[in-house]
Amino acid sequence: MTNMKKECIAMLLAGGQGSRLMVLTENMAKPAVPFGGKYRIIDFPLSNCVNSGIDTVGILTQYQPLELNEYVGNGQPWDLNRNLGGVHILPPYLKSRDSQWYKGTANAIYQNIHFIERYNPEHVLILSGDHIYKMDYRKMLHFHKSNDADCTIAVIQVPLEEASRFGIMNTRDDHSIYQFEEKPLHPKSNKASMGVYIFKWPCLKEYLIADYNNPQSDNDFGKNIIPTMLEDGHKLFAYSFEGYWKDVGTINSLWEANMDMLSDPPKLNLRDSQFRIYSRNYAMPSSFISETAATDNCFIAEGCEVKGIVVNSILSTGCTVEENAVVENSVIMPNTVIGRNAIIKYAIIGEECHIFPNAKVGDDPKFYEASEWGISVVGKGKTIQQNALIEPGKII
Amino acid sequence: MKTLGIVFSNIYDDALGELTAMRTVASLPFAGRYRQVDFILSNMVNSGIIDIGIITKYNYKSLMDHLRTSQEWDLNRKNGGLLIIPPFSSGSTGVYKGKLEALLVAKSYIQEKTDCDYVIISDSTVLCNIDFRAIVEEHVESGCNLTLIADQGDSVDEKHSLVLCQDEKGTVTELLINHPRQENALAGMGMFVLSRDKLNEIIQDANARGYYHFERDFVQKQFHEGILSLHVHRFDGVVLRNNTIHAYYQNTMRLLEEEVRKGLFLTNAPIYTKVRDEVPTYYGLESKVENCLLADGCVVDGNVINSVIFRNVQIQENTFVLDSIVMQGTVIGEGAHLECVILDKNVRVSPGAVLIGTPLHPVIIKKGETV
Repeated sequence: MTNMKKECIAMLLAGGQGSRLMVLTENMAKPAVPFGGKYRIIDFPLSNCVNSGIDTVGILTQYQPLELNEYVGNGQPWDLNRNLGGVHILPPYLKSRDSQWYKGTANAIYQNIHFIERYNPEHVLILSGDHIYKMDYRKMLHFHKSNDADCTIAVIQVPLEEASRFGIMNTRDDHSIYQFEEKPLHPKSNKASMGVYIFKWPCLKEYLIADYNNPQSDNDFGKNIIPTMLEDGHKLFAYSFEGYWKDVGTINSLWEANMDMLSDPPKLNLRDSQFRIYSRNYAMPSSFISETAATDNCFIAEGCEVKGIVVNSILSTGCTVEENAVVENSVIMPNTVIGRNAIIKYAIIGEECHIFPNAKVGDDPKFYEASEWGISVVGKGKTIQQNALIEPGKII
Repeated sequence: MKTLGIVFSNIYDDALGELTAMRTVASLPFAGRYRQVDFILSNMVNSGIIDIGIITKYNYKSLMDHLRTSQEWDLNRKNGGLLIIPPFSSGSTGVYKGKLEALLVAKSYIQEKTDCDYVIISDSTVLCNIDFRAIVEEHVESGCNLTLIADQGDSVDEKHSLVLCQDEKGTVTELLINHPRQENALAGMGMFVLSRDKLNEIIQDANARGYYHFERDFVQKQFHEGILSLHVHRFDGVVLRNNTIHAYYQNTMRLLEEEVRKGLFLTNAPIYTKVRDEVPTYYGLESKVENCLLADGCVVDGNVINSVIFRNVQIQENTFVLDSIVMQGTVIGEGAHLECVILDKNVRVSPGAVLIGTPLHPVIIKKGETV
């Protein structure tokens, strides 16, 4: 066999259901959810890998994988159709001794030890498919190697008052971790785990096997593997990432991350020819903006026909906005039609929806008590009848 | 019935002046995100043709760069796929004198495609969305030597490369070359269907006799001699002939008509092109965009009206861009005023610059220049 040794390969955890995204993940895994007009969430970790020189990525799928499998395909859009390495979809499969679904994040990697061994890597990068960020993993790998760490965890500084929502790393001055606290009530630091880990492979392998043999374990990286490694006195380091990072696991955070492309200056800037985010492109013509249209502070992807008003919004590939329709502070996912005079405010409209004329979805928070307002969501392929009213916070 | 596609990339280069100074007509950008060749390639692919040769002679770097592995057209095949056919002789450079001369370089390619019974040969300057499958079947049923694909053409009096005069019954009575089209006449679309054997025979014959002009030395000559049986397939969809700079400009403006877009861009027969991975286009707070076609990756902060904007163009504050074509990577500085202008790729328009052309004579700024 050819020597396929790779210094570092990536394993992308893409099997989660993403139930907090409600209807948006009804029929697809969270990493396949559209983002930013022409992307899907998984484009971010995949593009990060390629832009970091990592050419071997295993994608662990389990929940509703069809859409994701089709999207990833042979990996060509990300330049991951390689002879040695490239992208591999890794669903759970029947093994001779025992077979099971992926029970947790660590178990998913455990079940693919053979895949990883084929590349005989020194380090393994563990990623998840629900974060929007641009990151050069090479810098983190360099940090990991120069500390001779057994495990390096990427962290981002979050406001201390929000720290109790995250897994928090308590570190010494040299960035070594002495304690990991999952969602602490009284956080001692504001270094939140980004769900990006680099392990020395021999060390990780040992812990994965031990974890598998421990019936009490939840087989989870955050709950089991990392705390056990700490207890055993291994060298764990926190790598501070500076830049944009957002967990888009909820409706609100998904909406906010899209809106972060529109702030001035943009919090999330995807216009960077040195660090492109790649995606699978569909053959759509250029977008047409008619003389009746108004387009202010918005991103409009290709294949759209815009005859109405689009303000502070993201209009994805292949959408139509008919005359006098208004789209404000909203995210419209691909191939959706917004009919005449329809009003969409503070909403996420899924792919391939049809909003008929005069319908109204969502509204401005200023007219509501905070407790009565929320982002309105219309799931993939839904039809909203003429004159229908979808109230703020309603999820269809 | 397996069909081979042969596409000419250089014929008519001369008629497009500055726009084809450094590229083939096939690689001339069109409609915001395409190159002209995308249309014929996509038509062939959507018609199930997977053996395609593109004949080229000079300036073909841009074409090769565009097509690369031809993955976007699904032509990166183990069996068949796309072949760029460059000149093999060390002879003169410049355009081929005609398509017959160009076909000579593809002789061995055509001969070797023994599993293909029929051939479609096509220019790359006539843009439409056409399904060749039914036309090839029609050709076979007709029993004729050659099928001409034609439509009603542009306005009467406009010169067409091939005019098909017909009698009341619709029988072709005369073929005219580079001639204004009279009432009732059809205009050739530069697309022909014939058997591979016939094409081989024509190439041999042309080589022996020094013929080079496909329409004149073969189609017209043999038709008028009564030795060529012709079948005409009339196409009724949208056809854009980008044979001159003026036509290129007019046809670009026609894309702003919904009918034209609907006729060219069908969801069940997409036009494929090279992927650039640009971000979606950003429309700023102060931007005003009316009746325009815009590709991905642009930043629009100015006023853009009745124009076609390609990928990755920046239009800064207080600019006016009217009735213009702006190609990929161009930057239009603050306060510039452009009317009836064609800006080629990567042009820099300095702040405050004023460029005004007319629809008949648009101002053309060459690739990479600063104004």
